[in-house]
Amino acid sequence: MVDYWNRIVWPMLEGAQMTILLFFIAILVSIPLGFILTLAVQSRFKPLAWLSQIYITVMRGTPLLLQLLLICFGLPMLPVVGEYLVFDRFVAACIGFVLNYAAYFAEIFRGGLISIDKGQYEAAKVLGLTKWQTTTRIILPQMFRVALPAVANESITLIKDTALLYAVAVPELLHFAQTAVNREFTIVPYFIAGVIYLAMTLILTVFFKWLERRYKYE
Amino acid sequence: MALIEVTNLKKSFGNQEVLKSISFSVDKKEVIAMIGPSGSGKSTLLRSLIHLEEIDNGSICIDGDFLVKDGQYANQADIRKITGKMGMVFQHFNLFPHLTVKENLILAPKLRKSESMEEIEKRCMDLLRKVGLSDKANAYPSNLSGGQKQRVAIARSLMLNPQILLFDEPTSALDPELTGEVLKVMKDLAEEHMTMIVVTHEMGFAREVANRVIFMDGGEIIESNEPEQFFQHPQHERTKAFLHKNWK
Repeated sequence: MVDYWNRIVWPMLEGAQMTILLFFIAILVSIPLGFILTLAVQSRFKPLAWLSQIYITVMRGTPLLLQLLLICFGLPMLPVVGEYLVFDRFVAACIGFVLNYAAYFAEIFRGGLISIDKGQYEAAKVLGLTKWQTTTRIILPQMFRVALPAVANESITLIKDTALLYAVAVPELLHFAQTAVNREFTIVPYFIAGVIYLAMTLILTVFFKWLERRYKYE
Repeated sequence: MALIEVTNLKKSFGNQEVLKSISFSVDKKEVIAMIGPSGSGKSTLLRSLIHLEEIDNGSICIDGDFLVKDGQYANQADIRKITGKMGMVFQHFNLFPHLTVKENLILAPKLRKSESMEEIEKRCMDLLRKVGLSDKANAYPSNLSGGQKQRVAIARSLMLNPQILLFDEPTSALDPELTGEVLKVMKDLAEEHMTMIVVTHEMGFAREVANRVIFMDGGEIIESNEPEQFFQHPQHERTKAFLHKNWK
């Protein structure tokens, strides 16, 4: 039993650490970046708005796996600059996830932003709030509240998408599960992996449910 | 001198001329009821006074300062100073849903930083008492009825001690049985001689509380008179037709 634990479960938990690390890096960087993209799309400076919109369209319109392969294996093959674009696999994966998820979060926040009634801006204006005060005190708190369920959904998807790292040979949870399956000739590690993913998504679900209740404003 | 002086105000949305050279003035302590069919331009006129709409031409002078003179607006800082003399109450309340009643009231004066928190909180509770909602200080707007929301909105607009209060159809979004409590608060304000302009469909309020009724139709002021005269002896055919349809 101890042997089984040491040979199979322990490496998988170590792999899960990689999954969790990637999750936190991706979420902590892509949410602010997505928010900046939301603002960029709304920008009055049209070239910036167009570029941001094109970026979002491309990132959402192509598979994450394709983007990961491109960053890990494609960039280094570019002439001249290629040799400077060889990243550590994990770093490359982080870049891929951040760039991809920022586009999704940008769309989620944009949805939150357009859901806010123009009466909120008008009330803030007649109360003498500056544009900055209106944005930070009135608009953003409401935008994040509206976006919360969609952010929760996206975060759960992100946990599961980390399994794509398998394709670019970063040793994460699924990688160790597959190794164990091959070595031990048993499918049990698949189920263990499933349970670990499920545990992670359950924790996230509970966390976001708590956040939603906390900011219910009732 | 008039507190509000509007001269030759013109405003179009695209090709549609919604305000056709409007002139009128409001004295201190006056309560004006502005009535007229929908689309007559009365809300747009009210919103122009507090710079929620930009006008195309004409002048608006508030308490001696020009918000806009012959179509030329004052600079940003002056616009803020001038519109700061007015408060506004909206048809749909526009309370901030993520803030409690108390937070809705204290937000603007707190950000203005011109007085201590104790003063602000004291005024907040005084005003809530005045509109009969001191027990709702910590409630969120979503837990209030429409009438309560509008009373909070009125209290919020009073927090900055405005000289003039503008009301844009304050009871139009309310169930009929809830309009009374809001009208009562407005009546109290009128009795304290707050200068008010009220865009309304409440003929009863216009008749009982207002000092003057302004009737608008098609982007023009058709008639302006004391309530008694206005309702008993309307001068203009369009006024007669409107009253015939809306008040009996």
